[in-house]
Amino acid sequence: MSAARLVAGRGWRGALGRKRLLWPALVLLALAAAAALGPPLAAALGQDASLVDLHHRLAPPSLGHLLGTDEIGRDVLLRLMEGGRVSLLVGGTAALAAAILGTAIGLIAGYRGGTLDALLMRLADGVIALPLLPLLVVLAALDLRKLGLPAAIVQSDAVSLYRIIALVSLVGWTTVARLVRGASLSLRAREFVRAAEALGARPWRVMLVHILPNLATPIIVATTLSVGEIILLESVLSFLGLGIEPPMASWGNMLTGAQETIALAPQLALYPGLMILITVIACNFLGDGLQAALDPRAGRR
Amino acid sequence: MTRFILRRLVQAALVLAIMSFIIYALIGLMPGDPIDLMIASDPHLSAADAVRLKALYGLDRPLFERYLAWAQAALAGDFGYSRLYAKAALTVLAPRLGNTAILMGASFALTLAIALPLGIAAARRPGSAFDAMVNLLGFAGISVPSFWLALMLILVFAVALGLLPAGGIATIGDGGILDRLTHLALPVATLTLASVGGHMRYMRGAMIETLQQDYIRTARAKGAGELGVLLHHALRNALIPVITVVALSFGSLFSGALVTETMFAYPGMGKLIYDSVLGNDFNLALAGLLLATLTTLLANLAADIAYAAADPRITYG
Amino acid sequence: MLALSMRRVAAYLLGFLVLTAAAPATAGSASPGRPGDTLAIGISQFPATLNPLVDAMLAKSYVLAMVRRPLTTYDPEWHLVCMLCVELPSFENGLAEPLDLGGGKKGVRLTYTLQPDARWGDGVPVTTEDVLFSYEVGKNPKTGVADAELYRRILRIEAKDAKTFTLDVDRLTFDYAGLNDFEILPAHIERAAFADPAQYRIASRYDTDPTNPGLYDGPYRITESAPGSHIVFERNPFWWGKAPYFRRIVVWTVENTAALEANLLAHGIDMVAGELGFPLDEALAFEQRHGQEFRVIYKPGLTYEHIDLNLDDPILADLRVRQALLLAIDRKAISEELFAGRDPVAESFVPPLDWIYTDKVPHYPYDPAQARTLLEAAGWHLAGGAIRRNDAGARLSLALATTTGDRTRELVEEVLQSEWRQIGVDVRLHNQPARVLFGDALTKRNFAMAMFAWISAPENVPRSTLRSDEIPSAANSRTGQNYAGFRNAGADRLIDAIEVELDRGRRAALWHALQRLYAEELPALPLYFRASAFVLPPWLEGVTPTGHQYPSTLWVERWRAAPPS
Repeated sequence: MSAARLVAGRGWRGALGRKRLLWPALVLLALAAAAALGPPLAAALGQDASLVDLHHRLAPPSLGHLLGTDEIGRDVLLRLMEGGRVSLLVGGTAALAAAILGTAIGLIAGYRGGTLDALLMRLADGVIALPLLPLLVVLAALDLRKLGLPAAIVQSDAVSLYRIIALVSLVGWTTVARLVRGASLSLRAREFVRAAEALGARPWRVMLVHILPNLATPIIVATTLSVGEIILLESVLSFLGLGIEPPMASWGNMLTGAQETIALAPQLALYPGLMILITVIACNFLGDGLQAALDPRAGRR
Repeated sequence: MTRFILRRLVQAALVLAIMSFIIYALIGLMPGDPIDLMIASDPHLSAADAVRLKALYGLDRPLFERYLAWAQAALAGDFGYSRLYAKAALTVLAPRLGNTAILMGASFALTLAIALPLGIAAARRPGSAFDAMVNLLGFAGISVPSFWLALMLILVFAVALGLLPAGGIATIGDGGILDRLTHLALPVATLTLASVGGHMRYMRGAMIETLQQDYIRTARAKGAGELGVLLHHALRNALIPVITVVALSFGSLFSGALVTETMFAYPGMGKLIYDSVLGNDFNLALAGLLLATLTTLLANLAADIAYAAADPRITYG
Repeated sequence: MLALSMRRVAAYLLGFLVLTAAAPATAGSASPGRPGDTLAIGISQFPATLNPLVDAMLAKSYVLAMVRRPLTTYDPEWHLVCMLCVELPSFENGLAEPLDLGGGKKGVRLTYTLQPDARWGDGVPVTTEDVLFSYEVGKNPKTGVADAELYRRILRIEAKDAKTFTLDVDRLTFDYAGLNDFEILPAHIERAAFADPAQYRIASRYDTDPTNPGLYDGPYRITESAPGSHIVFERNPFWWGKAPYFRRIVVWTVENTAALEANLLAHGIDMVAGELGFPLDEALAFEQRHGQEFRVIYKPGLTYEHIDLNLDDPILADLRVRQALLLAIDRKAISEELFAGRDPVAESFVPPLDWIYTDKVPHYPYDPAQARTLLEAAGWHLAGGAIRRNDAGARLSLALATTTGDRTRELVEEVLQSEWRQIGVDVRLHNQPARVLFGDALTKRNFAMAMFAWISAPENVPRSTLRSDEIPSAANSRTGQNYAGFRNAGADRLIDAIEVELDRGRRAALWHALQRLYAEELPALPLYFRASAFVLPPWLEGVTPTGHQYPSTLWVERWRAAPPS
């Protein structure tokens, strides 16, 4: 028996046609494109984002440095673009990982119901209610070698990247889990699912073949909604020195030293934060708009 | 009702125990020799004491036994010695908790005072310019990184205008009410602005949904005044999900406090946890984290009770 | 100064002036710059203990220097001088005599006389009984003193009378007259605490009863101590030296430099100690903004910032690689741009202010081309990638570690990393908390390159850092500070010879040879000598920064407020 498809809201075409969704999507696309353009632009200018030039510290904008330089002479625009690449990469990957984790948990909770559902949802509530940042501070300070990770990974450049993706996914799955659970609960009662069960399909098969495909909409909505939150989490951890570590630039760690130089170079404090704000607002608008358009049960206008 | 409360208390205690075990295990994974540091942190320990403590807590003991030994001491009030402050961990924590309570309390009150009325007002005029503005502010509120907000506030009020201090809790040699209030202004503003967006949106959403209900139409049809409808019928029902969300946000308020305190060098619990983890003072970090978790659990418990009390549809037990 | 154009500075100043003109004064109540008879000092750390013998801590030395006087010390001109003693023993004045210890070993017998008027804060005179008692405490292994070597070298102490004693030392070193770190304790108070030597650290009155005047023989005594917050000092009525100007001094601990600055501007504190106050770059920024209201004194010092290289690492074992690494970094630019030229570039481990300094050592000016040539010669080639590889295909990749939480060091690391990348060396950053770096990584020699600083005294013999028998290993239970693993017979000979060479001229020649050897062999990459910044109000006079580990507060009785003009 083939999986029946749900008709959700006004459908995708209707959703994307609305202007409300168009502009945040465009903003995000523009940001991603700008970030991707970083390396070729750097090559064209003959510089790179980590090139230090002590004789031109804290320089004002000029032709060679469109947004000026930072406290050790690196080009601010190039660093913003690299930071964008990193933040969007982390945001996207962590959101994906969180989505997978959240879908698994939400699906099991919603379909199986009963004590398992109660337990998993209690767990989700617990994670939401925890004072996250203090716990993440501890987790970020762990010695990875003691966890048994091979030395090659621990000493690689990208270890801070892997670590922050892992940390953020560990706590970012709750939004997806909740939405997926709700959808699974209502789907469970549908005829086609009942039919499949009656025909003797095993629970795993029912979940994966019949329910999961119909979860596409809530998963996408939830994932988009969680990207903003994930980017914020990454930026605050990087700011505290526990996320992306220099010299890899991330919007968060570009602000780490900004407090000290704030009197001399306030623009260094302005740009990275503004980028985070714009990106997260766009993500939130997109997610909200998607939810309104695609989820027929959502009560907001 | 009492049985309900008791059951929730038991659950909370269980969660706390599990969390304490997890955190204790995590601390053991810190770089260097954390258990050794925890034992040896007290310079007033004699050599005999150190040996005795190593036998109890040393890394050669299995994790669970170590944890039990630690838990026993903790329940008796002994959280070990803080390396950074040369005092018992608990005596360092107590005043800090007070400072954080002031910060969080003031921000919480201010947040509710701003978010609730604005959310209700926006819900009453859906689609209007006012509503659109509130909606936009709400979005901005949940999208802004709080540490950047702090930086901007410092830039404007402390650096450019010189009106408010950029950090600390009081000026040395002063400490009067006015001085302390000026030092609280920016941290409270940061924490409030960072939390107000989410609550505003939630209040607005809950209110809109409630106002669409049938019983509201009935009340209006029966001739009840608009204000009466709003307060007696709509608000009471809209508040129920809002109470839950508001109480559950205690955890994120604490996280916000950590960032705010670190930015403004405000001597509170959040900054203490951050400093102690980075300063390898694990006795203090452990105690601080547990205290933070405990207060969060208590806040959630209070939320559950308030929710159960407010909503007549909920059955307890 | 920093590389800002005058126009930009003017623009900012104008902007700030316009904005601040309309704004009320900053929060704070104290009236500006009031010279009076009290002084408020701000420091960035609180001493963990006040016991002079245990736990070597800069905050503790700073505070204790106001209330206790050592027997001898180095003054701000880096000369050895007497404080509690009357005259420095020497062979010329007969107070020092050679001692034949048999078996060809030579020691020295020194005679010291305590200041006749020296008394503890409760009126009890400082006598040789205190000296003998202090020796008893210091040499007892259960006490756990910070500097055990000092007491190991003393063979015996004998009291001639109440004020004069002789000291027998097991070797004759050039600095024989100095007893800077021999702390004299008040026997009449501390003897009770020493009843059980193993408990002395806990029972010492310095921690259990810090306001007891009998503990202090300096110009001030401690009248109040609030751990983590502040310490109050008042004049010691039994002080035997020049009468101090200030009746009362309060030392406040403010751990956050932004708060330190804010309190300074609000006049909650009058000055910030250079020994532990502002990091240099923040002091520079502060001076730019507030140079009108405050006086900033920069004292270049003995703090030797360097990068220790693990010579057992196969890549670093090659001298050409070490030279290339040093040639590729522009230390002059770092010093000039980040530190306004206040931190002189180091070519070896001896600072320019030390009398034994010589600049006739190999210099390594910024020369990336030469660095590349050296790397090629050492077998590291650019095979199309950005990072060099050798013939075996291994990448030229190294790990650099420093202490976390030090923004200046992190910035310098990023500068170095970028400069090394330019010559094809990949350097990864692995910062660790200080405790882990010093307690674990360095002592176990688990590092490739480590950036940190040595702080020491003038003419300090680098025995523990350069001698081949001071390499920490499992075999010698990890004693010694020769983390680089420097094994050089010539250096060992020079170090041994310097220690016992009494003739200044000959000794200087030996020091010069050692510095040349160091700069040739490069067991470490010398970076610069860190200056400390003292921020003082314009009306405070007499503060003399020292630049070494003995703090300026040893002359606190000379500080005074200039009369209003």
